Amino acid sequence: MNRIVNFFRSAIIGPLVALIIAVVIISLTTDRFLTTQNLINVSLQVSTVAIAAIGSTLVILTAGIDLSPGSAAALTTCVLAILVKNMGLPLPVGMLAVLVMGIGMGLFNGFFSTYGRIPSFVVTLATMSIFRGLAFLVTEGHPIFTVSPYLEDIFYGKLAGIPLPFLYMLVLYGITAVFLRNTRSGRAIYAVGGNESAAHLSGIHVNRTRLLAFILAGLTAAIAGVLMAARLNSGSPNYGVGLELAAIAAAVIGGASLAGGHGNIISTLLGAFTVGVVQNGLNLNAVPAAWQNITIGMIIIMAVGLDMWRGDFGRNLSRLFSFGGDKGQAPKGEQEQKEE
Amino acid sequence: MTPAANKSLRPGSFFYFIIPVEENMDSDSPTLWELRSVTKEFPGVRALDDVSLTIKTGEIHALVGENGSGKSTLAKCLAGVHQPKSGQLLYKGEPVELFHPFDAREHGVATIYQEFSLVPTLSVAENIFLGRQLNRPMKVGLDWDEMRRRTSTILDQLAIKIDPDAVVRSLSVAEQQLIEIAKAMSIDSTLLIMDEPTAALGLLETQRLQELIRRLAGQGKAILYISHRLDEIFQIADRVTVLKDGRCVGSNPISELGMNDVIRMMIGLEISQHYPKEVNVTPETCLEVTNISTGTGVEDVSVEIRVGEVFGLGGMVGAGRTEIALALFGFDQLTRGEIRLYGKPVHFSSPSDAIRAGVGLVPENRKEDGLFFNFEGPPNITMSRLEFLVRGGFLSLSKEEQAGREYVRKLNITPSALERSVQYLSGGNQQKVVIARWLFSQAKLLIFDEPTQGVDIGAKIEVYNVINELTSQGISVLLISSDYPELLAMSDRIAVVRDGRVLHISDAEKLTEHRLLSIASGAELNHQVKYQAGSIL
Repeated sequence: MNRIVNFFRSAIIGPLVALIIAVVIISLTTDRFLTTQNLINVSLQVSTVAIAAIGSTLVILTAGIDLSPGSAAALTTCVLAILVKNMGLPLPVGMLAVLVMGIGMGLFNGFFSTYGRIPSFVVTLATMSIFRGLAFLVTEGHPIFTVSPYLEDIFYGKLAGIPLPFLYMLVLYGITAVFLRNTRSGRAIYAVGGNESAAHLSGIHVNRTRLLAFILAGLTAAIAGVLMAARLNSGSPNYGVGLELAAIAAAVIGGASLAGGHGNIISTLLGAFTVGVVQNGLNLNAVPAAWQNITIGMIIIMAVGLDMWRGDFGRNLSRLFSFGGDKGQAPKGEQEQKEE
Repeated sequence: MTPAANKSLRPGSFFYFIIPVEENMDSDSPTLWELRSVTKEFPGVRALDDVSLTIKTGEIHALVGENGSGKSTLAKCLAGVHQPKSGQLLYKGEPVELFHPFDAREHGVATIYQEFSLVPTLSVAENIFLGRQLNRPMKVGLDWDEMRRRTSTILDQLAIKIDPDAVVRSLSVAEQQLIEIAKAMSIDSTLLIMDEPTAALGLLETQRLQELIRRLAGQGKAILYISHRLDEIFQIADRVTVLKDGRCVGSNPISELGMNDVIRMMIGLEISQHYPKEVNVTPETCLEVTNISTGTGVEDVSVEIRVGEVFGLGGMVGAGRTEIALALFGFDQLTRGEIRLYGKPVHFSSPSDAIRAGVGLVPENRKEDGLFFNFEGPPNITMSRLEFLVRGGFLSLSKEEQAGREYVRKLNITPSALERSVQYLSGGNQQKVVIARWLFSQAKLLIFDEPTQGVDIGAKIEVYNVINELTSQGISVLLISSDYPELLAMSDRIAVVRDGRVLHISDAEKLTEHRLLSIASGAELNHQVKYQAGSIL
């Protein structure tokens, strides 16, 4: 019984339930949803957002926010196109270069948000403009088409029958999960988001940890950009608009708290799929595009709400079965008087 | 960072050294405010217990008491911030209820807190008329000329020589203090509550403030002067009320009291409790601190802690004890001086350096600075030395579980701590988790900042036992505590701190609570100065 209660209390349950409900509802509305081809399409659709969401999750875990992934991805597609098509660099070199650029963008965001002591919201709001502005600058406003014959394979290729983007997602999520759970830096990210002061007093380098989160966010945004470019074999300063919001939505639906310290990467993946699945369902049902935004917004509210209320549900459930000899108090613990 | 009142958790019985309240026969000034049997409770603690006192017009009424005695709660009741659970507040003989600071303001109560309420970027006049700017008669717009004129008038009345157009940010702390008072006066207050007014002031500025207060009293204002500094109180107050554990133990004209009487009332007479103290001091030196100063108020502190010693830091709240601890922990940087750990000079540019060198800190405010509520189980214990858990380049979660179990057993922490977030633990268990962290990190010097604050008696004894255990293993302890009996019983030596300086170091057994309080509150200082310089007044 204890294990069942613990499962209900675990962090994954909320987003998992949300996803299952979405899948069930949609498959009831159309029989074209649960086909192999369609599910593959959904995965491909979701992959770009899911990968960008990795970076967003890391930043959110440290109690920061990153609004620049969309613009960073756009800049990535443009620079990649220019390097490979216009300057004739081999594709692998071009890809490496833009990934390094991604790290650079993350460094920029991170430096000003930590040592620069400017709130990350402000910094990334600025870089949202700056990066996209640079994209327009380097392409002079025009998209660049047919970048490379090999580029499309990165998106449309398969390995043992599995679409590559799906594999990228699994690998990156796997690495991130291990990073967060089993490395010092990953643990530090949770600590800094959970209680920055206590983290500092425990010897954790707060600024360095936050900086790392932003750097990784820049990197994943660049990877998402490469995928975008590969999908359309082009680079354009107009790509990726709204990517950051989708990525943040995925993280939030996955249970990450904007206050930091709470959340896990697998739930973010579930959150990304929830959004993707719902969008797919709306498409299959030929719902006008306008409704998609409304629906996604409603899902965010319900998913986060479910997460908030689940805490109470779990607590009440455990009180019902009276587990743990210790005080089953409300989370705020004892109200200690701070009077003199 | 003020400690919680924990009177309900102390065993043993108390005597209160009470001096009967005298009816002031020869005072014919009318009573302005009266508190009758006021009681105020917070969850788990009775901050004010049947307190009665009167404040007369033109009276400088001092309110003293140890940390947690209820002084600031009382002041806040008068300021409309808190509402008494029972009892009455009477204004000019009429019962009133103050539901909001605004109500208090309507009744002429102005409070000057330790944190100023001035807007630094505005001018003096703008600050004084904040929220009640005057309109120009018959025209649109604000009447700055009139506001400036009135500001000048107030400043003149109070003999404050500051330009009404001066930007507040450019004024010294002492001058800002005076502007705060001017602001309070401009709202036509009849009762001025001042909470630790001289905390930020030097000697000369304190004198100036005292002259101002006397002038205000002469004009018929009543002053409620809350302070730890007994020397100042004896220079300026007409009447003193002493609180202890939320009760009024005396309210008398200053002429009838000596400093020792006041101190005795503040401490009470206690049947001494049995503290499980073990002496494990060795002659070896663990920490040697020479002439350190910091930007946070630590001034020229020199101290030496031996291996296995419990070194106590005593002093009033705000004396600078925590600042000294933070300097030793690498949280604040030294501007002068040197620290040596086991003979080697060390430089800590961050807590990380200090931790690696073997220093640990159990912070005063464990919820804000010590505990992580977003983890379940052992991470709270292993956080400071994650490198100890690394196996093959990765954190070994099984090693962590093991460490968690080990320290839960060692410190007798409730087992559910291994599975749940610390937010579900009692204060005592939470404190033990923090202590476990430093045991895990193999600290050689452990700083405890108010370790038994808000902790039940069972856990308190366990903390004392832990301290003994630590010292028996050659770990030194720096103990900061406002619980003087605890400090005196558990320390081997004690340094008394005031204004960021160490005034006195001696063996704990040579000190009494009385003497400690004397030195910490400046009573002894005043005593000496009086003899040397005649009279400061």
